[in-house]
Amino acid sequence: MRPQLEGTAATMRRTTLVTAMATGVALVLTACGGGGSSSSGSDSGEVTFWDTSGPNESPVFKKIAEACATKDGYKVKTETVAFDQALNNYKTAAQGGQGPDVFRSEVAWVPQLAKNGLVADLSDTDLAKDTSDFLEVPLGSTKYEGKSWGVPQVTDSLALLYNKKKLADAGVTPPKTWDELKAASAKLGGEKSFFLNNDAYYALPFIYGAGGDLVDAQAKKIVVNSAENVKALQTAKGLLDAKAASTALDPTNSYANMQAAFSSGDAAMVVNGPWAVADYLKGAAFTDASNLGIAPVPGDSAGKGSAPVGGHDYVIRQGTKAKQSSIKFIQCMSSADSQAQVAKELGLLPTRKSAYSNADVKANAVVSAFEPVAKSAHARPWIPEGGQLFDPLKIAYADVLAGKKEAKAALDEVAKAYKDTVVPEYSVG
Amino acid sequence: MRRFLERHWYAYAMVLPVVVVIAVLVLYPLAQGVFFTFTNINEANIANPVLDRPATYEGVGFKNYLNVLSGDASYGAFWGTLVRTLIWTFGCVFFHYTIGLGLALLLNRQVKGRTFYRVLLILPWAVPAFISAFAWKYMFNAQYGIINQFLRALGLPDPVWLGQSNWALLAVIVVNVWLGVPFQMVALLGGLQSIPGDLYEAAEVDGATPWQRFVHVTLPGLRSVSSTVILLGIIWTFNMFPVIYLIAGPNPNTRILVTYAFERFFSGASRDYAIASTYGVLILSVLLVFATVYRRALRSQGEVW
Repeated sequence: MRPQLEGTAATMRRTTLVTAMATGVALVLTACGGGGSSSSGSDSGEVTFWDTSGPNESPVFKKIAEACATKDGYKVKTETVAFDQALNNYKTAAQGGQGPDVFRSEVAWVPQLAKNGLVADLSDTDLAKDTSDFLEVPLGSTKYEGKSWGVPQVTDSLALLYNKKKLADAGVTPPKTWDELKAASAKLGGEKSFFLNNDAYYALPFIYGAGGDLVDAQAKKIVVNSAENVKALQTAKGLLDAKAASTALDPTNSYANMQAAFSSGDAAMVVNGPWAVADYLKGAAFTDASNLGIAPVPGDSAGKGSAPVGGHDYVIRQGTKAKQSSIKFIQCMSSADSQAQVAKELGLLPTRKSAYSNADVKANAVVSAFEPVAKSAHARPWIPEGGQLFDPLKIAYADVLAGKKEAKAALDEVAKAYKDTVVPEYSVG
Repeated sequence: MRRFLERHWYAYAMVLPVVVVIAVLVLYPLAQGVFFTFTNINEANIANPVLDRPATYEGVGFKNYLNVLSGDASYGAFWGTLVRTLIWTFGCVFFHYTIGLGLALLLNRQVKGRTFYRVLLILPWAVPAFISAFAWKYMFNAQYGIINQFLRALGLPDPVWLGQSNWALLAVIVVNVWLGVPFQMVALLGGLQSIPGDLYEAAEVDGATPWQRFVHVTLPGLRSVSSTVILLGIIWTFNMFPVIYLIAGPNPNTRILVTYAFERFFSGASRDYAIASTYGVLILSVLLVFATVYRRALRSQGEVW
């Protein structure tokens, strides 16, 4: 009889928990949805903003958001949402007619959200007027089927970040090609000198640098298993084999280990974006911020380095009760002044051309170092499936780096997964 | 019939709320899930009443089942995943039971500080599973984790625990064993305490060795408890999601049926409800078959269950 009692107790505990959670969720949902009626004309005047930036950046966005709200006369509530959960949470909430009014969406998510009808079409609003000031590639991420769905918030790309002192001590200059990086590593103390993150996004510099791509959206072709890409992954694996780089072969720990290795000074070089800089500057190796060097990512040959464009866009949820306020909010958040403030305080790259001429922005070392990198960044296919391309590639890339599979075989599997589950209407090859 | 209703209407009225609740909470979602497996439903063609969007998914017959059961890697390599799920389930339950029984036997005697040990041993159960999972994830970190630091200090090889190999499966089994032992221990301890002491005395008088007492008194005395907790353990472990997902993420080397269903339903970007439901139905079928076989086996041994 004992175990059954135990079982019941466990069930009861779980049931209570579920009830408590359900009540909690219900309360939150009521709180979010409160105020205003659903007709398009009215506006609740309360904007809930889901900020997906990390703990280093979020306070600054919050501050600017509150300044905007005070200036333009509406209320704003900034809620921070973990980046890796954000898309999922947003989709679930928006599908149920709940969620934020304004969402900070990664550039690759916008076409997908647009296709699923979860973000509002902004083509006829003020936000779609006068977009000539925005950089073209980030602006491209807000378009889907000829309509406008968002406003670029920040742009970014990957660059080679290096420890100036370590490189100077070893007498090497920042490598321009992967071969140079190999040679430099030998002088910098071998495999510890370059930390290679084994996440799919970080495979893109190798792939773009070798002239490859994942899909050709124009020709509707899957090109992920091209000869260029095979060579690209072999280059990455070659760095590990030549003891010129190290990686965390357990993918779940890879990013955290990279951050730890570089900010402690263990690793002399990493490839990462401007969002990581604030994190590094807290580390022991960069108590003097000027020790952080930023250079374009190496390529197969000098000057051929190429990194993906990244960044974030503001979107408005389809079904929001505060569309007018949200539009005003985004206008204010993405104004040249706000962007300059973000650039100055966080070193994130503005999406407006005019913001780059601001004196404070010019004086920011991180922004000025990343500016040429971001402006020449490799565009990504702005298709609804753009965000789904990484899941299969991530596993393949980790397998290749771990030596479990050959690059060609692994990429053939990715191509098959793309064809079967991501972009069935595309042809392989 | 009419008289029957007249006579028992009260009973039916009393049962009705339960029937309605079960129909709404269990049967309707179940039927809907089964229905989805015959469609191509996903997040792009699902109906959205809030946004005034009608459903546009269509029936595809048995295509989902054929895709999944073909064992294609794009649909989760079903058969390989099933084998891994079985290794995971029986590996975990075996160690849950044996370690749990061992600890229960140790605690079932008068030792100093028995209450203290009991509290200590129940601790893994008291900590929320996701907190334990994150703690273990840090401990398994190949470079900085305490486990590998320890192994290195002893001069032993330090495997990449959560990498692209079967070490990852071993790692998550270790964590789940650690998490699951307390329940088995508590349940079996309860069972042990319900075995009458005079049976042991009689066995001792007859000259039975401790081993013989264990095999012929303890194990038969525990049978009804064991059969229940093992069945529960198997069902829970078969569908144990958080440990694997939080520690290893979408790693194909630790993928079991239920984590793959989640991957297809939720994670990343592709929300393929049809494939996820197909997995759900297949998981349910496997468990139903298992429970039936298990019950038959018990009944043939004379258990009334």
